[in-house]
Amino acid sequence: MSLLTIKDLKARVEEKDILKGFNLTVNPGEVHAIMGPNGSGKSTLASVLAGNESYEVTGGEVDFDGKDLLDMAPEVRAREGLFLAFQYPVEIPGVSNVNFMKAAVAEVRKHRGLEPLIAKDFLAYMKEKKALVELDGKLAGRSVNEGFSGGEKKRNEIFQMAMLDPKLGILDETDSGLDIDALRIVANGVNKLRSKDNAFVVITHYQRLLDYIVPDFVHVLYDGKIVRSGTKELALQLEEKGYDWIKEELAEA
Amino acid sequence: MSETMTTSILSELVSGAKSPASFREIRLEAEGFLAESRIPSKKHEDWKYTNIKRLFDNGLNLISAEDITFNSIDSVDVSWSTDESLIGSTAIHTKEAHAALNTSLFEKALVIRVKKGVQVEEELILNQTITLKDGEFTATRVLIVVEDNASLKCQHHYSGTPSNSSLLNNLTEVFVGQNAQLELNYVQEIGEGNLMTTTEVECQRDSNFTTNCVQLYGILLRNNVNIRLKGENIETHLNGFYMLNGKELFDNHTLVDHLVPHCESNEIYRGILAGKSTGVFNGKVFVHRDAQKTNGYQSNNNILLSDDATMNSKPELEIYADDVRCSHGSTTGQLDEDAVFYLRARGLDEFGATALLLTAFASDVLNGISNEELRTSLEAKIQDKLKEMRA
Repeated sequence: MSLLTIKDLKARVEEKDILKGFNLTVNPGEVHAIMGPNGSGKSTLASVLAGNESYEVTGGEVDFDGKDLLDMAPEVRAREGLFLAFQYPVEIPGVSNVNFMKAAVAEVRKHRGLEPLIAKDFLAYMKEKKALVELDGKLAGRSVNEGFSGGEKKRNEIFQMAMLDPKLGILDETDSGLDIDALRIVANGVNKLRSKDNAFVVITHYQRLLDYIVPDFVHVLYDGKIVRSGTKELALQLEEKGYDWIKEELAEA
Repeated sequence: MSETMTTSILSELVSGAKSPASFREIRLEAEGFLAESRIPSKKHEDWKYTNIKRLFDNGLNLISAEDITFNSIDSVDVSWSTDESLIGSTAIHTKEAHAALNTSLFEKALVIRVKKGVQVEEELILNQTITLKDGEFTATRVLIVVEDNASLKCQHHYSGTPSNSSLLNNLTEVFVGQNAQLELNYVQEIGEGNLMTTTEVECQRDSNFTTNCVQLYGILLRNNVNIRLKGENIETHLNGFYMLNGKELFDNHTLVDHLVPHCESNEIYRGILAGKSTGVFNGKVFVHRDAQKTNGYQSNNNILLSDDATMNSKPELEIYADDVRCSHGSTTGQLDEDAVFYLRARGLDEFGATALLLTAFASDVLNGISNEELRTSLEAKIQDKLKEMRA
């Protein structure tokens, strides 16, 4: 059974239609890359799937592991195992990363019928996940994302993903603005989390990330729809030729 | 209501006092001031948003003071006094009507004294449970003296469920001696009662004075804090946190008076307002011409949880010295929706996310309270009130 099935999804923000009939099926164990020019709807897709109420869904269906995703509150989606790594992680002064993760992990575990972790086990669990993204111990004690560099913020997103152990991770331009070292760390973190049971949707502008997180499928999103699907070779082609040839082909059709 | 009638209500209240023979001089001064003044109405700049006059217009009967209980600590002298000469020596009763009224009407003063060089380990806890009924008024008076090189931590709790047509007026005078330290924490939670509190502080050189005021329940809470820095090298912190719901009105008026060089004042007042509540913050920092090298910081931040809540924030900085570092800022806004969504996207429900953010917002103020037990109990009370705000 597929993990995520999106059928004819339509969404708008501030009266402007962004997604215009989006279809995608993701099976466990797969990594899908979604590429596309600016304004094609990539981040809208991520926000709609995570349940951001600034976006209005005007049509379509999303099935997540047998359940109606669009019917769930954002926190229920998270507890059911959907994780969005934000393009712009939010700074939260006064809330430490540790306390934030304690609260989040407790909610997710409760939802899955698991006992809360005792303090000692939680700290050990956190230490293990921090190592995965080489997150500095000091960052964990600091306020969430406050004063973090761009690279630290993105690493913190992957750290949170590791902590919450989702079925589906959506990475919204997690690679944008990262230097090659930070990119490697982030990608390694994701690769270590890959398994036959979970899946990832990687939204990106740049083919470079896909050298490190190798996708099973690459899709081109343009004007609110997927207009091309292929394998990783499609990403290389896009890197070389840009998006204009696709736009031209679409115009001719 | 005409002014003459108001004045007569005031004099009636004063003439009804038991007028103990003690404190004669300051009572005469206070009555002299009252004869010339009126009960503050909304026409007074300092009372623009806070209608205290309505209580007097409906008529108030003076009753004997509500009791203040306290824990006994060997190294602190605490006793009721009718002749302590330091009472009234801040002279606030010749400047403010509410202080003059208190000075005319209080029967006895609770005097707290820490002798020279004594470091008090245990915290002094004052409990004032208010039971005032309809139309009842009373005045309580406290004096805190921390002599040179001494130190004290003190909490003053106002609780109870007094009538919404009653009024308690408390005036606390504070003297912090040379190189002395005082932390004075207030908790105000009096159901639907009305409370007017004034803390009048004089600090001597090298001293450290911290005060935190947490306001949780009351239909009208007016808190005045005036701190005069009279010697060099004083550090002072004045913080407040207030949470309002329904039709509550909480008003904080503060003044830090920098009279001499090399002193530092830090002020953070923060509040969360829901329902149809009204908040008032007026913080004045006055840096006199001689007060060079002053560091004066003030901020007031407010989060409105409803469209019908109102915050009136007025930071005032008056600087007459030319070599100082001072800043002030005031913000009033809504809860950061992006932050709420971010937390929800990690599995916290809407209330959990909101509570986490608002608790963090309060923590900058609460962290000024050194007693962890008090801080923890306040955090729990804040959570309770947040739940009520959501309802």
